[in-house]
Amino acid sequence: MATSAESIGRLAPAPEHSERHAGIDRLFHWLTALTVLTLMATGLLPHLGVRFDWVGVHWIAGLALVALTIFHLVRALLWQRLRTIWFSATDFGSHGASKYSLAQKLMHHAMGLMVLAAVCTGLLMLKKIATPFLTRDPYLLGADTWGVVYVIHGLAAIVAVTLVIIHVYFALIPENRRYLIAMIRGRM
Amino acid sequence: MGHDIWGRPVLEGVSWGLVGIAAAVGIVVILGHAVYRLIRGKPQGE
Repeated sequence: MATSAESIGRLAPAPEHSERHAGIDRLFHWLTALTVLTLMATGLLPHLGVRFDWVGVHWIAGLALVALTIFHLVRALLWQRLRTIWFSATDFGSHGASKYSLAQKLMHHAMGLMVLAAVCTGLLMLKKIATPFLTRDPYLLGADTWGVVYVIHGLAAIVAVTLVIIHVYFALIPENRRYLIAMIRGRM
Repeated sequence: MGHDIWGRPVLEGVSWGLVGIAAAVGIVVILGHAVYRLIRGKPQGE
């Protein structure tokens, strides 16, 4: 027979040992990280003087990011509570607590906007290159419109540099280590 | 900016010189936070 202390432990697990991220969400996070870093390397290095055949890897990684984005949107809309990632009064006051801090929410929304901009413009840019499943049509849009598409795609790539640097720094500092551990093991 | 076949100016994309500025912004945020941590002292839970 369990002691009362053991019973209490089973009924109310300590919050610091509760699951923060399900396995599928951790897999999504690390696959997205790998994909975004691949896209940044293949998209930016050629402009910084590193010459290699980058287009094939870039559009394949881009399609992977499209699939990951659709997965995340569907999972967030149908299986997760949007409230947890959206702003609430507790973000600005001293009372109460939410799953994500204000800084984490801001980072998520900035990353989300950057990825959506890159994905939408990247899908259009697929028509400019030879792929096995699309007929190349560089005249799909006018020159001015292609220019706007390139500017948005480029701005997303440039913003990604800042966001990734900040994200990695705040993930590695000691006071946030429990969040990094939660993104690896699931529990804090 | 570039020019089309009629010589009119058209957008070609962003200046890739902005990559360095983007990295610099990230580093400034890191340095700013590091200074803030030094002034504030060791945070709880560390």
